[in-house]
Parts: sequence; structure tokens; C-alpha cells
Amino acid sequence: MFNKIKLGIGMLTAGALLLTGCGATANQTEAGGSAGGSAQPLTGLRFMVPNTAGSGYDTTARAAAKVMDDIKATSNVEVFNLAGAGGTVGLSRVVSEKGSGKLLMMMGLGVVGAQYTNKTDAKLDQTTPIAKLIEESGAIVVAKDSPYTSIEQLVEAWKKDPKSMAVGGGSSPGGPDHLLPMQLADTVGVDPKQVNFISYDGGGDLLPAILGGKVAFAASGYGEFLDQVEAGQVRVLATSGAARVEAVKAPTLKESGIDLEFTNWRGVVAPPGISDGDKAALVSAVTAMHDSPEWKEVLTKNGWTDAFVTGDEYATYMAEQTKRVEDVLTTLGLA
Amino acid sequence: MDSLQLLLDGFATAATPINLVLALIGVTVGTAVGVLPGIGPAMTVALLLPITYGLEPTGAMIMLAGILYGGMYGGSTNSILLNTPGESSSVVTAIEGNLMAKSGRAAQALATAAIGSFVAGTIGTLLVVFTAPVMTKFAISMGAPEYFAVILLAFICVTAVLGASRIRGFAALMIGLAIGLIGIDSTSGQSRLSFGIPQLGDGIDVVVVAVGIFALGEALWVAAHLRRKAAEVIPVGQPFMGKRDFQRSWKPWLRGTALGFPFGAVPAGGAEIPTFLSYILEKRLTKHPEEFGRGAIEGVAGPEAANNASAAGTFVPMLSLGLPTNATAAVMLAALTSYGIQPGPLLLQRETALVWGLLASLFIANTLLVVLNLPLAPLWAKLLRIPRPYLYAGILFFAAMGAYAVNGSPFDLILLLGLGLIGFGMRRFGIPVLPLIVGVIMGPLIELQGRRALQLASGSPRGLLGGVEVATGQFSLSLLACTVYVIIAIVLVWPLIYPLIKRQLPTPHIDAPTRQPTKTGGDNT
Amino acid sequence: MSSALAAAGESRRPLAEFIPSAFLALLGIILLVDAGTLSNNRTGVDPLGPRPAPILVGAISLVLAIALAVAVYRGDRAEAESGEDVDLSSSMDLKTVLLLIGVFLANIVLIDLLGWVISGGLLFYGSALALGSRHLIRDLCIAAALSLSTFYGFAIGLGVNLPAGILQGIL
Repeated sequence: MFNKIKLGIGMLTAGALLLTGCGATANQTEAGGSAGGSAQPLTGLRFMVPNTAGSGYDTTARAAAKVMDDIKATSNVEVFNLAGAGGTVGLSRVVSEKGSGKLLMMMGLGVVGAQYTNKTDAKLDQTTPIAKLIEESGAIVVAKDSPYTSIEQLVEAWKKDPKSMAVGGGSSPGGPDHLLPMQLADTVGVDPKQVNFISYDGGGDLLPAILGGKVAFAASGYGEFLDQVEAGQVRVLATSGAARVEAVKAPTLKESGIDLEFTNWRGVVAPPGISDGDKAALVSAVTAMHDSPEWKEVLTKNGWTDAFVTGDEYATYMAEQTKRVEDVLTTLGLA
Repeated sequence: MDSLQLLLDGFATAATPINLVLALIGVTVGTAVGVLPGIGPAMTVALLLPITYGLEPTGAMIMLAGILYGGMYGGSTNSILLNTPGESSSVVTAIEGNLMAKSGRAAQALATAAIGSFVAGTIGTLLVVFTAPVMTKFAISMGAPEYFAVILLAFICVTAVLGASRIRGFAALMIGLAIGLIGIDSTSGQSRLSFGIPQLGDGIDVVVVAVGIFALGEALWVAAHLRRKAAEVIPVGQPFMGKRDFQRSWKPWLRGTALGFPFGAVPAGGAEIPTFLSYILEKRLTKHPEEFGRGAIEGVAGPEAANNASAAGTFVPMLSLGLPTNATAAVMLAALTSYGIQPGPLLLQRETALVWGLLASLFIANTLLVVLNLPLAPLWAKLLRIPRPYLYAGILFFAAMGAYAVNGSPFDLILLLGLGLIGFGMRRFGIPVLPLIVGVIMGPLIELQGRRALQLASGSPRGLLGGVEVATGQFSLSLLACTVYVIIAIVLVWPLIYPLIKRQLPTPHIDAPTRQPTKTGGDNT
Repeated sequence: MSSALAAAGESRRPLAEFIPSAFLALLGIILLVDAGTLSNNRTGVDPLGPRPAPILVGAISLVLAIALAVAVYRGDRAEAESGEDVDLSSSMDLKTVLLLIGVFLANIVLIDLLGWVISGGLLFYGSALALGSRHLIRDLCIAAALSLSTFYGFAIGLGVNLPAGILQGIL
């Protein structure tokens, strides 16, 4: 009897607590109808990161989501992670959510490569490209006491005996740090199959190998090495973008007579089969974000290079990048 | 500049009332989150990072230090009480720790873990302060051949813990190695054992394996054999560590610290290998070998100290090179970046107050943890008095929550169930768990480092012995690697030559006073 | 005394003891077959490639499977793990185990649909009941309280990835 009273009180209290918490998830429901003009913030938008919290894609996505919310291009964007297999788990999810105009996925060059090495059914060309956001030049670096002082010198030695010179990169085969030396090899006339590529688990694993003189040279995003360059521990022989990187006193590959332009870029895509109205809404939200001063601040703070391209132009860019990657990986027998 | 003076300045920064409160909050919240199964210190720090937004950098880093150590302590708590390790480095603690808990000595296990963590953390942080430059040089010099040699040594030591039935022990090792093989081979980029399932592409995390086999397996096993008689409650036993517990713990604490710190300071070292090595070492050196497998306190004291010393060690590359060597360090560095502070070799020069404040706050967080949790240990231990159905239902609940939350995918739950069934089978057929965990953790490592060592020498086997000096292009033997190989050779050969040596020694007589007296049983028939 | 022990030994059906060997053999075969599907991308610099490791583990597993089977045949019996809560003298209660597995599977199926609060709560409730708890109402309340508090605390409070399911919007 007494127990029943206790039970009743317990349930009432629980019920009351429940009610106070009500509505906490309400703002995540999908709002019907399209958000046409810029006056209406997009609601119910979900932004997927195909990598773990704290990774590069994650940082970019969360920064973008915050800016979009701040300028009211969107309202309460839900950023979530779905990591795995170089981003292809997320890719499969996006492709499977056909027709949904409320899902964005952060992606980049890494996912392009991963779709081959992971042999997924879902492919990027099935998705709807929305916009390219940022890019980062790659860098070819050596340790401070390396015998190579210029990229021309390095390439010459490399051509003579590629197998004896270990190249380190922070990604596994198919990833950006792998693609850069492979494309470089292709461009200068080294057979990619002869390249002795050692994959490390990210910049943190790669750096000791460079500093300890374990690899002859390394390829990664230049951002990985900024502090080391300043401290004089590593030397950047060349960067791979179209323009020089100011922070790093090194020529571009093109300036050094190597006809290669390579960047590790990031962008967003949406599921296949979405309506033109939905697509336009997403593009305009992202464009608004890009044009805002808040985004410019984000770029400066993180040292990201603006590389904004939307819609069809982006689709063409992605197709061209995919072809390049496919060629290299096929040569290596990885595609 | 004088390190000691800087450290004292750091204390002045860290010990302001506000910063102390932040450290306290960090430690408390970190422990609370870290206690959940499957949620280790890395995830704890990542989850609680938003709390630090809005604080100024020094305060935020201090709070993060508190969260880190709190998360680690929470992780060992649930390893001991619930057999659900939150991180790969607490897996070894679960082995003896949970057994101690089951025999009513949970409070002692928690206490030795807490104090051991404190001792290791303090010594470790001191070592960071005073030996960082030397350790950094050493850390840089470690490459694939050296790592390969060390991991090989650890593998050889596996044979010491195969358990009563060697065949079954090896079988467990094979199962563990097989699990470790799942995923994409990083050198060639090909998928192994993934059967076309994309989620298996990255392999199965060792924490999922541990939670599945330990916690779920046990829950299922208990379900099969639950005592239906009187609801037997685990006796709580003594609330605090006794004198003998201290005597048995203090040396493992120091040895664990000695093992853990170098591994933490070295980029690819990690915390799993030193905890495992510490376990084996303590098992070898203990005066109570019969307790291993039933709840030996040394088996908790050593690995826990190794764990925390390794965590302290990770601050060496983090602060001197800006190099994060594990997920937690990466999150902390990301936090720094978000404040506009560039981590890197110049961090120490540029942000002196911040860095030394951080180091000082590590001491403070450490102390707070011990002071807060030691009296609470008996209370935590009371958790085990919950009626069995609730306890195991709770374990299943939290295990499921942790597994799902990693990726937001039910697939991880399927994995967990499968591993639970394997764990069930292992308990039924007497197959030991430790070799399996060793296989899962060390299998991929040894394969990676071995192949990388060969690659660095352009495919030649001498890559296992040394490396090519980039500056000169010459091959040189690695002193460390060769030393470890010699140790391995001795360890392997010793059991064979020892009996021969013994026979050579003249049998002891009373007219040979210089000889060591043998045990009395030797001469009698 | 000895006859009781002998009886206990006999009661262990010997066929069951071969399960580990069968499992190991299966494991070995899977490893070897999977290794066969790998193209041995052996370059000069990577002389091993991805195949040696699985082949080695698979081969040793097969050898161990045979060795274990032989040992079991010769009378080597496994020592099942004992513990505080485990009573080995009675035979296995498969019904409870299957119930638990069933409850866990239910959670897997329902978690995305119904959300963590309902699905996880059911997991706890079902497990507690399967393990012998007789307090039907009390357990339901505890389960609900647990799943609600963890949802609010972790999913909403800390951003841990737990689904709201059909309760989206209400919670």
C-alpha cells in the first residue's frame, strides 16, 4: 500500500520533470515547404560530417554551420558525424537519402580517393554538388639537415632512383597526401608504381618521421608544417597551389617548372534527386555564408584559402578531379 | 630559463581561486562522464570541450586538464566495477581490477588505482618539466625498426600469460589477431575481412571488442548461470587500503610509471603496450602469483600507474613539438587553436605563462582527484551491491549506449552482440581473454611497423635492424632495435640454457660457505 | 565423492567441447579465403603485401583447431569460468540467455525507429525481467527514469549521438 503511494509520487514527479524538458528536440523537426528567398532561414537542415569530431572536415563543417546560423541563412543546423572508411560510410548515407532537400554533407578530395580504395557502390557523381568552400595547397617538405635544398634537386635524385627515397604522407593510399606525390611522380616522369610511399596516420604521426630523418621527403597540407617551418626544423621545397603561400617562403611547383597544380579542397554536396528549388535554396544559403564578413573572419582565423565555386562549375571541377584521381589509382592497381 | 622558477610561476597562475574552481569542475565532470562504459578520456574531453568555450585560454586549459584526468579516473572506475573499460589503456586494469571487485575488494582496487594514478601523474609531470628536451630528442629517433623490436618483445611476453592451457591461450591470440586484421590495410589500401560492409572498413575498435567480450560476454554468461537462490550480495569488505595493500602496491606504482612515461613521450608509443608490459612484469615479480587471475592488487597498481604516466608523457611531444600523439592531445591542441594559439615548437617561447600554468594545473588536477575520490571509493564500491538483475541490465544499457553513440549506428550494436557471444563462448570453454586483447591491439601494430621498416629500407630485410640516414644516405644499425633483439634472444633462450647452467653449478655443500644456501627441500628425498 | 565428480564430468556432453575447434577451423578458413581475394600488390618496396598476415594467422588457426580437437578427444576438458554470481553446478539456463539476446536484438532494431528513450528503456526493462527481477512496475519506472535521464544528460546536454526516434519534437 505504502509502496503504491511512493510509486504514485515518483511517477508524478517524473511526469513533471518530463514536461519541463519538453520541446528540447522540437526545433529539430523538419519544416515543410521550401525556404525560397533569403529572408526565410532554412530550417531543419542537417549537416553531416563523414569523419570524427575534431577532424578537418568536422572543424570546417561546424564553422560553416555556425556562420550560417549567425547570419540567419539557416536556423539551428544540426551537425552530426558519421565516420568510417575514409568518408564513404557518410557517402553511402547521403546517396541513400535520395530526394531529401535538407541534408548536406561535408566532403573533399579525400572522399574522392576513398570511394575507389573502399570500393563502395555509392559514388560522388551520384550526389548533387552544392559548392566548393576552401582549399589548401600541398607542400613538399624535407628535414632541416636534408641534402636537398631545392625541388629541382629533389626531383632529379628521385628520378634516378625512386625506390630508394621514401616519401611520407599523412594519409593512406587514395588520400590527399598520397595523391600529391603520385601526381607529382606522374608529372615529372617517375613511374607511380616505383614510388616508395609510406603512409602515416596523420600529420602527428608523419612529423617525427620527417624530423627524425626516416623519410627522404614528405607531402602534406602546408598547414601541418607552419610552426615547424618557423622554428627552422623543416624546409618547404615547394607548394602545389596556383599561387604562392605567403607564410611559407617557397616557390610553387609551376614556378619551378613542374606543371602540376594540386590542392586539397573541401566542399559540400547534397543527396541525389533533389528538386531544383531545394538545390537553389541550399546554394543560396551557402553563398550567403560565403559572402558574409563572419566567414571571412573564420577563414583568416583558421588559415583557410577561399576557393568558392558553386553549382555546375563545381560539378565540372569535381568530375575533373575524380578523373585525375581515378587515373592515378588505376595505374597503381588500387581502383 | 630556470624550469623550477617557471613552474612556481605556473603554480601562481594555476592556483588562483577561479582557476582552482575550474579545475574542480573539470575533475568532477570529467569523472562523471568518464565513468560511462565505452566513453574514454578522449571522447570525454571532446564532449566536454564546449563547456570551456567562453573561458579565457589559461582557464580553459586548466579545466581541460581536470577533465582529462577526471576522465581517466572515471575510466578505471568502470573498468574495475563494471568490467566495461572506457579506453584501450584501461582494458588491462579491468582484468585484475574487476576480479578484485567481485571478491569484495573493490574499494582497495579503486584506491590503488587512484593513488597509483596520482603518483604516476605527479612523477610523470615532473619528468615532463625537467626532461622534455632530452625526451623529445629520444622520441624523434624512434622509428619503425625500433617500434617493431619493442612490440615483438611484448609479443614474446604474451607466452607468459597464455594461461593454464597453452593451446587455448594461443587460440585466443589467433582470434584477437584475426579481429585486428579486419579493415583496410594501410600500406596497400586493400580491405581485409570486411565482407563488403563499409562500416568494417576501419576495423573494430579495441574498446568495442573489450566492452563486448568483457561486459556483454559476462552478462550473458551470468544469465546462463545466475544463482537463483538467496540474492547473494557481494560483500563490501574493508573500505580502505590496508598496510599490506600499500606494501604490495608502491613498487608496482613506480615500475608502472617507469614503463608508461617513455611510451607516452614517444609518438607511436601509446598507453596500451606499457599497461600490458606492466601487467606481465608484475605477474613475474609478485610474491603472490596465485592471486593473479583471482584479483591481485599488483595487477591494478602497475597498469594504472603506467596508464597515467603515459598520459603525462604525451605532454612532451605535445608541448615541445606541437605534436599530438593521441586523440586526447589532439583535442586539447585543437582547443588551443580555436583560441588563436598556434601549438608547435614555439609554443613554449610564445605562451610561457599558459604552458607552465597548464603543467602546474596538471599537478593540481591530479591532487584534487585523489583527494576527492579516495574517500569516495567505498561509496563507488557500494554500487556493486545493486541487485544482480539491475546491475547487469544496467551494464547492458550503458554498453549499448556507448557503442551506439560512437557512430550513431546500430551496426556497432550488432558488433557488440557478436563479440558478446564470442565472450560467452570463451567463458564456457575456458579460453583466456588477455591473449585476445593483446592480439587485437598489437597485431595491427606489429604488422604496420614491420612492413614500414622494410619499406624504409626499400624492401630489404635489414630495415628491421636499422634505417637509412637521410642526411647521408647511408644505412646504419639502430642501437635500440639491436639491444631489444638481444633481449628477445635472451628471453627465448633462457629457459633452455638455465637447466644446463644449473647442472654445471656444483651441488652446495656445508664446506663451501661462499655459496648461496639453497632451499632446504633440495637435498632431502 | 569420486563418482559424483565422474558423473559431473560425464554430464558435459563431449560434442559441445568440440565447438571451439570448429570455430577456430572456420576462422582459419575464412582468413585464408579472404586472403585469396586480395591482389597481392607486392611492389619492390613492400615485399610482404597485405596477404602474409592473414595467411599466417589462418594457417595457425587451422593447426590449433586440429590440436585442440585432438586434446579434447583425449580427455582435455575446458574449465568454465566461475565467479560470484555464477553457479556452475546447475546446467546452463539457455532460456535466459536467449531472452537477453532477444532483448538486445530488439534494441538494435528499434533504436532508430523509436529512439533511445523507448528502445533503451525497453532494453533495461527486458534485461532486468529476464534476469529474474519480479518488480514489474518498479522496474518500468527505473527503466524510464534511466533512459530519460541519460538522454537529457548526454544527448541534449552534451551532444552525444542518441536518436530521439518517434519522440522527436516531444522531447
